Amino acid sequence: MASDPMGSQLRRILSIFFSLSIILPLSSPSPTMHNNNWAVLVCTSRFWFNYRHMANTLSLYRTVKRLGIPDERIILMLADDMACNARNNYPAQVFNNENHQLNLYGDNVEVDYRGYEVTVENFLRVLTGRHEASVPRSKHLLSDEGSHILLYMTGHGGNEFLKFQDTEELQSHDLADAVKQMKEKNRFKELLIMVDTCQAATLFSQLQSPGVVTIGSSMKGENSYSHHLDPDVGVSVVDRFTFYTLAFFERLDMYSNASLNSLFTSYDPTLLMSTAYYRTDLYERPLNMVPVTNFFGSVMKTIPTDSAYPGFLVAHASEYAAISAETETARVVLEDEADHSKTYDQSEKGLQHTLDEWLKLLEGKLGVKDPEVLVAYGLGSMVLLLTISTWLSS
Amino acid sequence: MADETSAAAGTSTETGAGTESNLRTTKPGTKRLFLTVSVLISFLVGAPFLLKSTEIHRSPLPSAAISSLSDHLHSNPPSFPCHFQAIFLSPFKPSDSSLSLSVAERIRAQLSAQSCGNCNFTVSVTVDSGSSCRHEGDAASAACLWECGGGGLVDAIEGRDDQGIDELLLSAVNERTGGCAGRVYSVFVMEGRDERVVIGKHRHAWMVLKDLDDSTSVGSMIGTVFGDYFMRGGVEKGEYIPVGSDGNVVLSFSLLNSNPSDWIYDWDFQRTGEVLLAPVLEALAPVANITMESQVLYHAPKSSISYWDEKLEAYVVNTRDLPFFVNSNEWHLDTSLSASGRSKVLQFVVYVPSASECPLYIRTPEGEISKTNAFISPMWGGVAIWNPHGCSMQSQGIHLVRDVLPPQELEKIIEIFIGQLRILFGLNSNYVEPSPTFKFLASEKGFTNWELDLLYRQHTCFNLLSSLSTLQSLSTLVESLPRMIVMDEIGKQVELSLEAANLAERNISLGINNASALSSIRARALAEDAFFHPSIMSISYSSMEHYFAIYMPFFAPVSLHVLLAAVKEVKRYFAERSKYLAFRASKLKSS
Repeated sequence: MASDPMGSQLRRILSIFFSLSIILPLSSPSPTMHNNNWAVLVCTSRFWFNYRHMANTLSLYRTVKRLGIPDERIILMLADDMACNARNNYPAQVFNNENHQLNLYGDNVEVDYRGYEVTVENFLRVLTGRHEASVPRSKHLLSDEGSHILLYMTGHGGNEFLKFQDTEELQSHDLADAVKQMKEKNRFKELLIMVDTCQAATLFSQLQSPGVVTIGSSMKGENSYSHHLDPDVGVSVVDRFTFYTLAFFERLDMYSNASLNSLFTSYDPTLLMSTAYYRTDLYERPLNMVPVTNFFGSVMKTIPTDSAYPGFLVAHASEYAAISAETETARVVLEDEADHSKTYDQSEKGLQHTLDEWLKLLEGKLGVKDPEVLVAYGLGSMVLLLTISTWLSS
Repeated sequence: MADETSAAAGTSTETGAGTESNLRTTKPGTKRLFLTVSVLISFLVGAPFLLKSTEIHRSPLPSAAISSLSDHLHSNPPSFPCHFQAIFLSPFKPSDSSLSLSVAERIRAQLSAQSCGNCNFTVSVTVDSGSSCRHEGDAASAACLWECGGGGLVDAIEGRDDQGIDELLLSAVNERTGGCAGRVYSVFVMEGRDERVVIGKHRHAWMVLKDLDDSTSVGSMIGTVFGDYFMRGGVEKGEYIPVGSDGNVVLSFSLLNSNPSDWIYDWDFQRTGEVLLAPVLEALAPVANITMESQVLYHAPKSSISYWDEKLEAYVVNTRDLPFFVNSNEWHLDTSLSASGRSKVLQFVVYVPSASECPLYIRTPEGEISKTNAFISPMWGGVAIWNPHGCSMQSQGIHLVRDVLPPQELEKIIEIFIGQLRILFGLNSNYVEPSPTFKFLASEKGFTNWELDLLYRQHTCFNLLSSLSTLQSLSTLVESLPRMIVMDEIGKQVELSLEAANLAERNISLGINNASALSSIRARALAEDAFFHPSIMSISYSSMEHYFAIYMPFFAPVSLHVLLAAVKEVKRYFAERSKYLAFRASKLKSS
């Protein structure tokens, strides 16, 4: 309702004040435990000449899977039009290096959002969790308050925006808004955003939520460049930032504890031809104490079970014996009830029976075979009766 | 045009009486005036209708009620009325009358450790032995006071086993506490030779003590039973709430055959498991709506390394390697059809190792071999390893074995799973007794009644606070986007959620724990449905600029013209009218 603006403003201020005063004491309870890792990998480009963006995303997908995050906790959004593209010299194969050593599209690639499903709306729905009821469980980001989420985005971007599939844009304030909603609903404990586009660092300039660490491949005014051209395939196959990220992870396995700081400082601006800028003001843990497997791998917290629940079987057996004695009598009672309901059905059938008889009688009398015609006759006679009576009474 | 007409009228009047050009003999016409003014008036009259028909439909949310309930819950957190009563069945002469006070103090010391779902307790002590009947302390109400006359109980207890004593005391409690039986926790104290404390599976415990004269030690024992166990469940760690936001939990049981070329095992989970677990699921109904499903998987090796131990002649997995045991690439566990987007799935896995790593044991952090050969991961589920019999001898000369997991083994595994389920819900799988004299009876529901009460309290409190904070976030979100469409469904869900929360709070104060737990689940589910409604997408609301951009190109030029025309016509009309009046005045003067 378009109520008076002053009143609504006041209400807004009051509600914000209330919510702050409530959130502040609520933020002091015991910190939640980290218990799972999620990865959301988004490739926002399509078309053959953006081969490298899909190769970037698939390489990171392989890395994250190798380090232990299962498919059920990875949301992969790809346009997926490279492997079977008519221009692909190596059908069903996607490479990220001109030596063609690794086929990224080889086995076990599970794409959750493909083709035209990669839209800004779907992306924001994944982040905020607001899906239609018909969306299957594998397309949801089912994180909870103990999750660490890795969000990797690659494509073409610019100052405060990221281009999605050449038709729409994701703006930095949209992303900031989505992250704020996620934080309000406690959908993550910590979030690492990694962006590999031109002017990537501007995309997270509007973030305010705590617990977020971000890194972009270039700063405002800088471009991010591809690494090398593959003359066989005919296009560039990987971007520099992602190439050096993968080089860092090649040396690791799921048992290692290299820190996030070592990852971030491994980027050389001369090799990248841009400055990899990272933002840690919203993150309270120091980066050299955070192992990369906190985001890129999956370490389950496990507690050995010291004992079963003893006596359960005995208790169940004794209770079950007692109950089975009762059920005998209960069964008898049930059978009686079944008989009772049968007689009830009989009486019901009796009513139906007499109605059928009456209809048959009428049909016989009037010589009409089709009951519908009979009904039509009946209605017609009713209408006639009605008109006659009204004429008589007027 | 108008000027011409007036000029013509002027010239026609020139032949008439006067020759001034500012006179006219006829009344000025009103048709044009009516036309233009009526169009203007119709625009003005229609403007409110236009605004009303193009307004954003925003279902009103009861933000005031939400914030007031939220404040109320935060300032006085929900506290559940628990009544503790100690009944002395043997003669007891206290040195001073401070027994109830020392008990209350011991309980109070346990109170601060818990975050949510605290007990608002009252303590009463009754001595009912033969002839004497004495009450002490404060009772919740006169109705909940123990009726004396249970002197024969001590004799009836003699010679029975613990289960029998438990049932006997249950019937005594039902008989003698007049209707408060579901809300009162009792401890029966007797004198006897061998000291023991037994905590039953309903809501009472009994202790046999050698010496009833030292009231402080007696009081502290009683207080331990009440405070540590009945009120807090014997746990120190924080609460786990493994319930999905729509109040559903799916227990997914999987049997994994690591290497089918060695042996293949099947199980009859439907018969054994469902029969054993049915009472557990029923008992947990006020906490979550639990469903079960089971599957058998093949080619599911673990992904961690095990080492051959010479002494044990078995393969051992260290605690250090347990985090990497679950091989998420090969174990396709999350294939549940019944779990919807917001349910929680808890995985319970039975792992049958291959011949190359059989028998497989888990080593605990203390260096011992685990008695259960199982581990859990909080909020995920649990894994239990089952070694096929005689597998160490079968590593040479293998012929393919296809077998069914024996039902007795399956029952034992289910016992382990029940223990793990208890840990996942925040309780202990088994109690490490503080002294050998403590004993805890097991219930066929997997949880004793007093443990269930504890769970209901914790979950009710958590659900209430969570639903209120969700509603609060929703209302701030809606207020911050003044032009976002808020559908009726959201408004209704918010209202129902608030109603359920209020109902839960009322039931808490009345002490009806299961009803309050059920209402709190409903409140949380509805609040989450409202918050995660798919229509709340900030990129699809229409801003004020959008609104103007649609309507201004039509209305701005048209209204300008209409207004100008009306103004000009009115001015002309009044000018002509004044000329006519002047003419009339001059005519009157001349005649």
